[in-house]
Amino acid sequence: MRKMDGNGLKVVFMLCLAFVTTGGQSFESTVSQLLRDETEDLKCFVDRKKDLTCFWEVEEARNDQYTFMYSFENKKKMPCVVSSRFVLASNKTVFFCKLPKTLFFVALDVQVFRDGRTLYNRSLKAENVFFVDPPRNLTVMSSGKEGQLNVSWLPPLLKHMDDIMIYEVRYAVEGSHMGKVEEKAASTMLVLRDLQSGTRYKVWVRVKLDGVSYKSYWSSWTDPVFADTLPSDMDLLIVLLVLSIGLILFLLSLTVILSHHKFLLKKLWPDIPTPEHKFPGLFTVYKGDFKEWMSQNNGSIWGRSVHVFTEEPPSPVEILSEVSPTSYDTSPREERKPTEEVEESERTDSGLMGGWREPPHANWLMEQLRALQENPESLSQSTLLQSHDTYVALNQNSQHVQEVSERQTDDVFEETLPLQALFTTEGTSSLSASHSDLGSLPQSSGSGRLSSQSSFEDPNHTWPPKGPGYTYMAVADSGISMDYSPMSSSNIAELRKHRIYTNEYKNEIFGNKWPFSSQHVESGY
Amino acid sequence: MFHGSGLFALLLMVLEWTRPGLSSPLRPICDLRVLDLYIKEAWDAEAAIRACKDDCSSATNFTVPLTSVDFDVWEAMNIEEQAQEVQSGIHVLNEAISSLQAFNQTDVIQSHIDATISNIVSIRQVLRSLSIPEYVPPTSGGEDKETQKASSVSELFQIHVNFLRGKVRLLLASAPVCHQGVS
Repeated sequence: MRKMDGNGLKVVFMLCLAFVTTGGQSFESTVSQLLRDETEDLKCFVDRKKDLTCFWEVEEARNDQYTFMYSFENKKKMPCVVSSRFVLASNKTVFFCKLPKTLFFVALDVQVFRDGRTLYNRSLKAENVFFVDPPRNLTVMSSGKEGQLNVSWLPPLLKHMDDIMIYEVRYAVEGSHMGKVEEKAASTMLVLRDLQSGTRYKVWVRVKLDGVSYKSYWSSWTDPVFADTLPSDMDLLIVLLVLSIGLILFLLSLTVILSHHKFLLKKLWPDIPTPEHKFPGLFTVYKGDFKEWMSQNNGSIWGRSVHVFTEEPPSPVEILSEVSPTSYDTSPREERKPTEEVEESERTDSGLMGGWREPPHANWLMEQLRALQENPESLSQSTLLQSHDTYVALNQNSQHVQEVSERQTDDVFEETLPLQALFTTEGTSSLSASHSDLGSLPQSSGSGRLSSQSSFEDPNHTWPPKGPGYTYMAVADSGISMDYSPMSSSNIAELRKHRIYTNEYKNEIFGNKWPFSSQHVESGY
Repeated sequence: MFHGSGLFALLLMVLEWTRPGLSSPLRPICDLRVLDLYIKEAWDAEAAIRACKDDCSSATNFTVPLTSVDFDVWEAMNIEEQAQEVQSGIHVLNEAISSLQAFNQTDVIQSHIDATISNIVSIRQVLRSLSIPEYVPPTSGGEDKETQKASSVSELFQIHVNFLRGKVRLLLASAPVCHQGVS
C-alpha cells in the first residue's frame, strides 16, 4: 500500500511536471538546444513564466549527490532541489534546479557541489538568460506581385516584451540547402523580394530579445511553411528576343524581295504579250491603222516573215506531175516503195501543195523521159510550165555535169541553187526517185546536169523544148524530200490529155539542218 | 497709469498662456525607445568605469536603491506603489551620482557622470509626461527601506543600469496613460 502510494505520487509528480512544461516549448527541447548553444558548463535559462532553471549534464548516470546553492544580491545563500532527467533527443542525462523565486536586474550567484566539492560556480543576471518560444502562426502567401512573398507571424507569449523582440526569417528554394536570412525588429511581418518566379519556397522564423533591457538566446526555428511565387507572365527577355528575331526576319525578307522584285513581279504579274515587235511601226507610226501599215509595207513583211530563214528570194519551180491510175497500178512492186515514200512525204505538205495526187513513179518517169527525147516536139504544146516559172531541164552532157557537180560540190552552197540534181543517162535507172536531201549531189558518172532557169516569157508562150540534149523531169516535193523523175515525151503527151497538176514550186533552200521548212506551192490545172 | 495697468494686464495674459516654470501638461512619452536610449548610455558608462577598475575615483560608500524585481510581487502592486518605488530610487541615485562631482576623476569618467545626471533629469520629465506621481520624501524619522549600500563607483553605475532596466522600464511600460482606450 505504501509502495503504491509512493509510485502514485511519482506518477502524479511527473504528470504535473509534464503539464507545466507543455504550455510552451518543452523542457527537453529547450535543454537539447541549450546543450548545443550554451558554452557554459552550468547552463541557466528563464522561461516564459520568468522562472530560472539551471542544469548540467553528466556523462554517466551515477548515484552522485549534487547540491545546488544560489543567492541574490550577495545575500544569504539558499539551497535548490536538484532533479535529474534523461533527454532522449540528446541521449544524455541532465541534473537541473528550478529556483523557487527569481529576481531580475540583480546579480545571481549559483554554485553546484558534488560530494561536498564545488563543481560549478557562476554569477549571472536572470534578465540576460531568457529563452523565448518560437513565433506562432507562421503564414506565407503570395503578395500578388512577381517574385514576392508576404510572411507574417505572431510573437511568442511573453508579457510586455513584444516591442523588444528581434525576428530572423530564413527562406530557401524547396530542395535547396542554400538559404537567405533577413532580420526584422519589433514587427511581425516581412515581404520577401527578388525571388524566383514560379518557384516553391520554404520559410522559417525565429526570435530573440533585443538585449537592451532583456537578453535571450535565439529561439528554435518554427516548422517550415511552403509557398509558391507567382509565375512570370511575360519574361521581358523572351519578349525582347522574339521581337528582335521577328524584326531581323522581316528585314531579311524585305531585302530578298527588293533584290528580286523584278523577277517576282514578272512571275506574279506577267506582262501581257503584245505582237508589237512583229509589226514595227504599226502602233508608233501608224497609230494602229493596219491598212495603212500594210499599204506601206506591201507584202514585204509577209514575205520576210515567211521566208525568215532564207538568204535569197526563192525561185519558183514548176513541178510537172501526172495522175495515171493505170500506169500506176502496173508499176512494179519494188518501185512502189519510193512512190509510197513520195506519197507519204507529199501528204505532209498537202496543205501547201493543195492535193498532190499520185505522182509518177521512177520507171514511169524514165519512160516518159525517153519518149520525150524521141519526140521533143510534143513538148511544144505542153502547158505544163508557165513561161514565168522556173523549169527544170536535164542535160545529158555527163562530163560537163560531172565537172559542174564537182565544182558545185566544192564551191557552191547548196542552198543557193534552187534545184540541182544529177541524173544518169543511157537507160540507167540510177535516177533516184527520192532524194532525202535536196542538197545532195551524188557523184556518179554519166549523170545529167540540172539547171534551173527562170523565164519571164509571155504566158502564152509554150514551153519550147530544148532539144534532144535536154531531159525534162518531174519533181516531186514532199516537203521533206524532193523526188526528181525524168519525163519522157509520151509522158508529157499524156499529161496533156489528163489533168495536169502543176505546181509552182518556189524552192526555198534551207540549211542542211532544215531542208524544207517552208514551201509555197501553187497548184493549178 | 492707465497705460501701466494695461501693460501689466497684458503681461499677466502672456504669462498665463506660457506658464513658465510651472508643470505644463506634456505630451505623454509612451515610446520606450526613449528610455532605451538612456539605458544604453548607462551601459556605456558602466563599461567605462569597469574598465578603469575603480581607479577612476576615490569615492566610496554610496546609498543606492534596490534594483531587484520579483514579477509576481511587482504585478501585485498598484501604480502608485510602483511609482513611489521608482521615484524614490531615482532620487537616491541622483544624490549618489551627484556626490561624485566632489571627488577627482578622469575626464572620461566626468563626462559619463555629467551624461548620467542629465539623463536622470530627462527620465523625470518622461515620468512627468506620463502623469506619474512625484517623489514624496518619507516622513521624518523613517528610513527608506528600499536602499542598499554600494562600495565603489563601478558598483554604483551597475545599480544605476539595473534600476533603469528594471523598475523604471516596467513602470513606463505599464503607465495607464499609454494604455488608455485599450481594453
